[in-house]
Amino acid sequence: MKTAREMGLIGCQRCTRVSPQGTEICPRCGGKIQSRDPNSLQKVMAWWILGLACYIPGNLYPMLETKTLVSTQSSTIIGGAVDLAHHGAWGVAIIILIASAVIPMAKFIIILGLVIGIQRGPQISDGLRQRLYEIVEYIGRWSMIDVFVVAVLSSLVQLQTLVNISPGRASIFFALSVIFTMISAQSFDSRLIWDTGSTPKPEDPGMAGTMNADAEKERPA
Amino acid sequence: MTYSDQAPPKPPVKAARRNPFRRLSVIWIVPAIALIAVLGVAIKTYLDQGPLIEIAFDNASGISAGATELHYRDVTVGKVEKVGFTGDLTSVIVSVRLTKDVADYVDRDARFWVVRPQVTAQGVSGLDTVLSGVFIEGIWDSQPGGLETKFTGLSDAPLERLNSKGLLLTLRAAPDVSLTEGAPILYQGIKVGQIGKTAISQDGSTAEAEAIIFAPHDRLIDTATRFWDTSGFSFTLGPGGAALDFSSIASLISGGVTFGTLVSGGEPIEPGAILTVYTGEGAARSSVFSGDEGKTLNLSAVFEENIAGLSIDAPVELAGLNIGRVSALNGLVDPVQFGDNRVRLVATLSIQPGKLGLEGEQTEQTALDFLAERVKAGLRARLATTSILTGGLKVELAEIPDAPEAEIQEMGTSGPRIPTAESDISDVSATAEGVFQRINDLPVEEIMNQAITLLGNVNALITSEGVRSAPENLNGLLADARGVINSDDVKALPGQLNEMIGKLATLIDGFNQAELTERLGKALDDAAEAAQGVNTAVEGVPDLIARLNGVAANIEEVAIDKMADQMTELLTTVDSFLNQQSTRELPESLNTSLTELSAVLVQLREAGVVETVKDTLNSASNAADAVAGASRDLPRLIEQARQVLAQAGTTIEGYQANNGLGRDARDALREVQRAAQAVSSLARAIERNPNSLLTGR
Repeated sequence: MKTAREMGLIGCQRCTRVSPQGTEICPRCGGKIQSRDPNSLQKVMAWWILGLACYIPGNLYPMLETKTLVSTQSSTIIGGAVDLAHHGAWGVAIIILIASAVIPMAKFIIILGLVIGIQRGPQISDGLRQRLYEIVEYIGRWSMIDVFVVAVLSSLVQLQTLVNISPGRASIFFALSVIFTMISAQSFDSRLIWDTGSTPKPEDPGMAGTMNADAEKERPA
Repeated sequence: MTYSDQAPPKPPVKAARRNPFRRLSVIWIVPAIALIAVLGVAIKTYLDQGPLIEIAFDNASGISAGATELHYRDVTVGKVEKVGFTGDLTSVIVSVRLTKDVADYVDRDARFWVVRPQVTAQGVSGLDTVLSGVFIEGIWDSQPGGLETKFTGLSDAPLERLNSKGLLLTLRAAPDVSLTEGAPILYQGIKVGQIGKTAISQDGSTAEAEAIIFAPHDRLIDTATRFWDTSGFSFTLGPGGAALDFSSIASLISGGVTFGTLVSGGEPIEPGAILTVYTGEGAARSSVFSGDEGKTLNLSAVFEENIAGLSIDAPVELAGLNIGRVSALNGLVDPVQFGDNRVRLVATLSIQPGKLGLEGEQTEQTALDFLAERVKAGLRARLATTSILTGGLKVELAEIPDAPEAEIQEMGTSGPRIPTAESDISDVSATAEGVFQRINDLPVEEIMNQAITLLGNVNALITSEGVRSAPENLNGLLADARGVINSDDVKALPGQLNEMIGKLATLIDGFNQAELTERLGKALDDAAEAAQGVNTAVEGVPDLIARLNGVAANIEEVAIDKMADQMTELLTTVDSFLNQQSTRELPESLNTSLTELSAVLVQLREAGVVETVKDTLNSASNAADAVAGASRDLPRLIEQARQVLAQAGTTIEGYQANNGLGRDARDALREVQRAAQAVSSLARAIERNPNSLLTGR
């Protein structure tokens, strides 16, 4: 299989018109076109780090603070799920755990894996990598469900002193984390997957947008 | 060698090493900004972090790390970070992170306590902590004094709360006053202060409590101010009815204290001064003049006599002044000290030095010194009667003039011992006992014995031979007298007496005719005249006859009948008198006696008595003559009266008892009746006592 790049063509990502190599402005839609985004992996990693950094406090701080007349209860995401599990609400606990813990973690790992795969050569097939990327992009937004729940509860249950539910500090970090990972996923130039595929690639300094010189050296000439 | 067909070898091309920074994407700015922000926040947080102070509490009830806050003026100025223990687990160390603003003010004076919900008689406090959980409250003054990091927390809120400035005092309870923590201090019924923590004073004799008088009421307190207890209620039953009095429910339940400035001229009081709380207003007032009541001097006194009536709280008096009370009574057996096994009464006397009126400082020691000096001069404790009726006793400190030398002894634990003197008890029972004792002492049995003996003697005397023969002697004596009387000399007397009596009769005749008969006759004449007057008066008023008829009928019915009866009775009496044997025999018996007397007189003439007797007999003769005259005249008098009555009867009958005339007629008849009654009584008198004519009585 040959890529468009190997055939000397560039696809516009806005209007999908195919132009010959070297074209910088899409003759149809006027959008900026480039064969590969040279800084894609840097962007991905930058957002990925930010997302991970936000993910840590998002799990350590309480997500929800419930103030009733006699007590103030605050629980972290995992803690809340564990509590629910203790109360027998296994279903809900599993949903929360999947939406708030498994999915973000999976996203981080997949994105990191994709980046590593591009830089160091893939361990799995190009098709699977593309599939993983699509999943990450699609599923990433669902992690926000936790933040939505908190937002809805906080706005609904505002009985001042009697019962008061307010979002904890973790909710902001968690939301930021989700946003950053989404941006990270979107920054990933999925065309790079094919460049490092099982088929040998032509040498192109433009595609080697890496942070590290070692990766460049290892790249086949 | 040809190089034509050979392309020149490619020069080695090596890409220049690119500046790694130029290959860096701009996007790295975003994590960099995030990093900078995080670092900035971290640094700011660190810099803004206040100091950590440690407060030691007895327990950490309700305090939880990370949640319990520190409040100052109800603003959160810190948060508990850690709750731990001291090294030896004796108390809890609560670490509080202060905010930076107040850190400088939390100096040595700062105090901390835990605010918990409290429900007391004064009200509910700390209710907000029910919902929010407890919090630590702190107070410190507004002078920054450098941070102190170690504190000891108070178990309760201090009196001077935030912003409640006032005068801090120490109240000392007089006996029988109970100070309650948290009780209000009322003035005119308004709470102006509060009693704080109560404690026993250092010497253990009284209870003391902190108290605060809130500003601006603290200006009410000066050295002339007295506090007294208003707790509980007073129930009085008097002529005004029953009265139940208490100042407030709170003070009823938990006690309260009020105060008053009872005399003027007090000076401002120092904060922290010690003031006494008296049992009542009366005690407080009296304390103005008697000084402090709080401290007492305890003396013991051993009384030799065991007398019932001395009780606890009995007064102790010095020169009639109450200076204390009996606080305890005990028995004491001490063979070593007293030399026998008798139980003695030991009374503990609580004397209030302030009531002795000593000059200068009034303490137990000065009071003891004063008493010791007086004891050397003869002051002794003795039991005395409080009330004669109840028989209650008191202890009196009195100076006994000739008391043996003694002084106050120090008896170790039981306190100084004051010497005692014999009791001065004058109660009813003792007096009555004395009376009975006297009665008992009377020689009743002796008297009885003497009386019995006397009666025995009398009996013996009467039954004796001499007494029995006395009547016989008397008989003999009388016989002798008779013999004397029957003697010839005595018998010769009657002849002379007869003579005398003849003269007497003549005399009395004259008297009778001149006096008595004339008067009677005149009275009767008057009556007759009155009747005649009536007669004439009636002639001029013949028209009244008809009206007088009724009255006349009455007179006929009532008066005349009665009068007639009386007259009849009178006449009968007179008649019977005249017919009496004794009257008839009177001259005879007189004759006999006179004859005998005459004989006696003759016999006694020699003694010079006869002359006197003769005079007497002359008078008797006169009297006898009068009697004779009277007896003679009586029938005539009666006849006259009868005539008068007949005339009156005729008069009245003639006018058919005219009404207007009736009154006069009745008067006249009454006069007549009176006259007749006089006659009748005269006759009766004569009848009753014929001798009265003779004796003139």
